[in-house]
Amino acid sequence: MFWWLWLIIAVVALIIILLIYYFNKIVVLSNRIDNAFSQINVQLKKRNDLIPNLVATVKGYAKHEKGIFEELAKARAEMTKAGSLDAKFKASDMLSNALKSIFAIAENYPILKANENFKELQQELSDIESKIAYTRQFFNDSILFYNNTVTTFPGTIFAGIFGKQKKDYLQITQAERQNVKVEF
Amino acid sequence: MNYKEYAEKYKKISFYDQIRNNKLKSWLLLIIIVVVIIGLMFVISQVYDPTMVFTFLILGIIISLIYVFIGYYFSDKIALFTVNAHEATDKKYNHLNNMVEGLALAGGLPKPKVYIMPSQEINAFATGRTPEKGVVCVTEGCLTKLTDKELEGVLAHELTHIRNYDIRFVTLAIILVGLIAIISEIFLRSLWFSSGNGREGKNPMFLIIGIALAILAPIIANLVQLAISRKREYMADAGAVQLIRDNSGLISALKKIGNYYETNNKTVANKTLASMFIANPFSGKSITNLFSTHPPLSERIKILESM
Repeated sequence: MFWWLWLIIAVVALIIILLIYYFNKIVVLSNRIDNAFSQINVQLKKRNDLIPNLVATVKGYAKHEKGIFEELAKARAEMTKAGSLDAKFKASDMLSNALKSIFAIAENYPILKANENFKELQQELSDIESKIAYTRQFFNDSILFYNNTVTTFPGTIFAGIFGKQKKDYLQITQAERQNVKVEF
Repeated sequence: MNYKEYAEKYKKISFYDQIRNNKLKSWLLLIIIVVVIIGLMFVISQVYDPTMVFTFLILGIIISLIYVFIGYYFSDKIALFTVNAHEATDKKYNHLNNMVEGLALAGGLPKPKVYIMPSQEINAFATGRTPEKGVVCVTEGCLTKLTDKELEGVLAHELTHIRNYDIRFVTLAIILVGLIAIISEIFLRSLWFSSGNGREGKNPMFLIIGIALAILAPIIANLVQLAISRKREYMADAGAVQLIRDNSGLISALKKIGNYYETNNKTVANKTLASMFIANPFSGKSITNLFSTHPPLSERIKILESM
């Protein structure tokens, strides 16, 4: 056998192994992003499902606070019909704010505040808010890993071959991080 | 601060590198233990007849297989049983379960089971060989004496142990240390019984080396295992900060734990379990030495504050 033939075979084998390795790596990393995204959706849906309960409970004590119920209903409807990621998070932020105001209003109603059901809902919703924040964090972490792989050498070459591009982070604003924990 | 700035900031500290680096070093430590076992076997075989070594080896292999199997597959159940823990299924633990689920989501892990130890001390441990079988166990004291933020820090520390496969690794290390101790013991005892018959002509140097090794190996293996354990604690602290993006909760929890054990020394843990806890319930003083399972709390707090 000619030595250069072996060399060519070795180089071709190496390229094929690298191609498979990077293809799998990129697929695994982008699957992780999809998984993170569906985790966000699970939490958003859980929160949406709790809102009718909350409204029913609060209405029993604070019927005349109409403005806030409307705001909540609107945000919830937006949330349900939102298709794109951006629209979803806009609606989600709206909903978070509406919830914040409803809990602020509850401060004025001692009997409501003492209601067992209300306290449970408040705790549950506050827990879901922090879960949403954590799922978004994991989503961004997954994007960070993915982007690091497709933008650094040699991953960038293979990403180019497979037509994979850098993905955008979700914006997490300072204000949002602060209202992760609903204070009460 | 948006995520990009977070990413930049965390790139500088480079948790990912630190974790990778520590994992590598830990594997190295494990390899050292294996080399010590092989060395021990070799020296023993030099001291005895080959036929005798054969019987000892088979016996040793059978015993160690059973031992490793039990240790590996039942360590979590044994640990939970020892501290008398029960699963946190009651409604009053909803918030705790939610916190654990949130942190699991942040780490991209399945939600571990949550157990409660009926004790007023402040401590926690994690167990389970894989993240799918993960269990986080906290004391009642954790729930009553820590704020939400502090408790979250403690839970994140335990979750990092699960995510990094620390539990599997440390369990294996403990098992290997035990094995070395057993082999040494068998060797030393067999010398006692077989003294005088038919060892003429054997190299006496190997006999001396053998005895020295049999005495030293368990001690060295123990020190290596404790070094692994201490390193894992630092890593879990770093991982907790990475999960929560905040160091204040864990810092103040560690301070509270330190204060608690300075004035109280009742604990549900025994010496073997101590290395699994977030802070060692037996080390009241904050000096570190080769025989500590954990780095001193003051040192951990100092490192956490620099993050």
